[in-house]
Amino acid sequence: MSELLIKNAVVCDPINKINCEKMDISVKDGKIVDSVSSGAKVIDAGGKLTMAGGVDGHTHCAGKINVGRFMSPHDMRMTNVPGLSGKEAPTATTRAQVGYNTPNAFAIGYRYAKLGYTTIGEAAIPIIGARHTHEEFEAIPILDKFGLTLFGSNWQVMEYIRDDEPEKLAAYVAWGLKASRGYGIKIVNPGGGEAWGWGKNVSGLDDPVPNFDVTPAQIVVGLAEANEKLNLPHSIHLHCNNLGKPGNYETTIATMKLLENIKSKRDRQVLHVTHVQFNAYGGTSWRDFESAAPQVSDYINTTDHMTFDLGQAIFGPAMTMTADGPVEYSNSRMLHAKWSNMDVELEDASGVVPITYSPKNFVNAVQWAIGLELALLVKDPWKVMFTTDSPNGGSFVNYPEAYTYLMSAKRRAEVIETLPEMALGRMNIPGIDRELDLYELAIMTRAMQSKMYCMDTKGHIGVGADADIAIYDLKPDSVDTSVEYAAVKKAFSGATYTIKGGEVVVKDGEITMTPEGRTYWVNAKMPQAVNDAMQVDLVQKFKRYYTVNQANYMVEDAYLPHPVEITTEAI
Amino acid sequence: MQTVTLSLKEKNTIPIEADAINPDNFASKSKDDIAAIMVWYGNAQSPIGDLFDVSIDGSDSAGNTKIIINGDVSRVKRIGQDMSAGEIVINSSVDMHCGSNMTGGKITINGDADSWLGCEMKGGEIELNGNGGYYVGGGYRGEACGMKGGKITVTGNVRDYLGEHICGGEIVVKGDVGLLPGISNSGGKIVIEGNTTMPASEMKSGTIIVKGKVAELMPTFKEDGTEEVDGVTYRKLLGDVNIAGSKGVLLVK
Repeated sequence: MSELLIKNAVVCDPINKINCEKMDISVKDGKIVDSVSSGAKVIDAGGKLTMAGGVDGHTHCAGKINVGRFMSPHDMRMTNVPGLSGKEAPTATTRAQVGYNTPNAFAIGYRYAKLGYTTIGEAAIPIIGARHTHEEFEAIPILDKFGLTLFGSNWQVMEYIRDDEPEKLAAYVAWGLKASRGYGIKIVNPGGGEAWGWGKNVSGLDDPVPNFDVTPAQIVVGLAEANEKLNLPHSIHLHCNNLGKPGNYETTIATMKLLENIKSKRDRQVLHVTHVQFNAYGGTSWRDFESAAPQVSDYINTTDHMTFDLGQAIFGPAMTMTADGPVEYSNSRMLHAKWSNMDVELEDASGVVPITYSPKNFVNAVQWAIGLELALLVKDPWKVMFTTDSPNGGSFVNYPEAYTYLMSAKRRAEVIETLPEMALGRMNIPGIDRELDLYELAIMTRAMQSKMYCMDTKGHIGVGADADIAIYDLKPDSVDTSVEYAAVKKAFSGATYTIKGGEVVVKDGEITMTPEGRTYWVNAKMPQAVNDAMQVDLVQKFKRYYTVNQANYMVEDAYLPHPVEITTEAI
Repeated sequence: MQTVTLSLKEKNTIPIEADAINPDNFASKSKDDIAAIMVWYGNAQSPIGDLFDVSIDGSDSAGNTKIIINGDVSRVKRIGQDMSAGEIVINSSVDMHCGSNMTGGKITINGDADSWLGCEMKGGEIELNGNGGYYVGGGYRGEACGMKGGKITVTGNVRDYLGEHICGGEIVVKGDVGLLPGISNSGGKIVIEGNTTMPASEMKSGTIIVKGKVAELMPTFKEDGTEEVDGVTYRKLLGDVNIAGSKGVLLVK
């Protein structure tokens, strides 16, 4: 393959502790190297901001998003973010694009690439739906992908936890990751998905799951222990109980505390709590609803065992989609909105409901503030992953807009001025003057993901890393990001260059080529004897309950034409 | 005042998508400029001048621009889409989506209109001197709101789903209406002078008046005495009670 030399790049690479320093980057065969020959193709970055390709570690890009597409034919007409939404005719290099919150698969690839992102993680794969997820992954061009597999309301999981069978549990998780070609353990409202099968929900960590005699707390701890026994690259990825309910911050903090004593052999967190914006609510009802971001942030500041992501809300239309079936039922009732509901056999539930976050609505205004408060009140940016839980809090195409909220108090003040008086007393953001710099933004959008997912070739541009690079039209030496937020938004909305695996895929905000991305998955090895014992139980599950034969259930190799298999050995 | 007359040269079978034909687009343009405006003709674009004879009188702003369309334009879609001011007179039947999403001005159709007439319109006026198709004043697939403002008057009959999830504005139909007019009405007013079937189901708010016969009145309304409108006494029904907090009013004979 060809060689590439990027000259005069002003590099922000927190993994390698490079804080906006001018340097050259050498690329050979899709990797960053020390030096290249004089025949290398040269790109002059001209002093522009250069970062590793962005990593969105929690987005809904394949699988359930399809239900959102069925439900929202009007979404394809939405043009809320010019250039990154709506209908676009095919070109010589790109295929037709439509949509905003639920764009077609091609558009997801192109638009992330335009923002300088090169890797995305699908937040929830039900094992039984995994084939479809991988088919959609293949249809998303350019980006590398990985997905997290749902285990939090799985019958086999709950039975092994109830029966105190940690070895078999680990064997089942390993099998489930292989069956779904997943990267890690996702837990959504532990136990709640099963309870929803009975029209119920679990009310908190100690509320037993109907018919299984296990509590959400036991599920979380059991899966976290299995996670570490399998030595998986990512920790458990947890969507807490009571999401979206006023007063839920207590459950959130209690859940975080539950995992304090889990130990990992890897140099990473043992818990990732996702879209905490939806789980940092104070008050007792929507009347006295308020931000509890300070309480949650105070706790996170005292501990080092966890990371989290924001789930930042963006004003405008969004589409909620989650395996948390009961939450979607409440959403649809509360919003009088259309509702999709699905039972995922022995594994979980799911739902999809459209929503519009309005700055005039005091609840939405406070939600907007909570995400920002979490990002700014937690002192260590290495604990914070920037997300909108796209498209739950808003489409990922709004990331550049959201960066300006984090980087400019002036920009925040402008938005705050438009919010209702009632909301202002329920939030803390007007009193927060912290502004992220480009280095901190690089941590939250790419560097911390490298550590959090133990992906040592992603999220940085040190020697040996994948040559995934984004160059933005900003000069770190001269730009004042706290004032020139319009320039910041413009620069991040269309990268000057996005380089994926050493190839220029975006130039001046336009797609130049569309190579196929790879799919990362984890093959966790357990001793054969344990696997065999687990299979005896599993065969019964398929025989008695599943609508699918076990032989037809596994994702086969043919579904991953571009796999990257990561092997781990059980401890 | 600017008057632009378009006469279709030859009746087309392949549809023309003519959202470019609106006063905002024509105002203060010369004859040649207007003739050069592109419209979709099948899967390719074509200048208006190739399809229509264009004549023009005067030059003025959109609000003072009148477009007169002659010839059989029953296969020309989207005339007056997104228009904000001025006037269009169509002396023929017209194809789908006429006046959709318009925000102001007036369209007069001296003929029939195919489906989706005045869909999601926000303001202005449409006068249809003929029959209408399906989804007059409705909303496109997936949208929460159909028509939000303005007025549509139909002298003839219209087919099913009149004013589907309409959120505002007014529709008057002098003739008969097909199935389910005003379904999911969320704040609009619909007056039907002829007969209809199953009106106002899932109505949340707004008013629907039926002067003719109602077939298969939905059982999901609450009787609430009578109400007099313009000297006529109607049975007053509240609902649809299936919708929580519904404030809709259905007046029938």
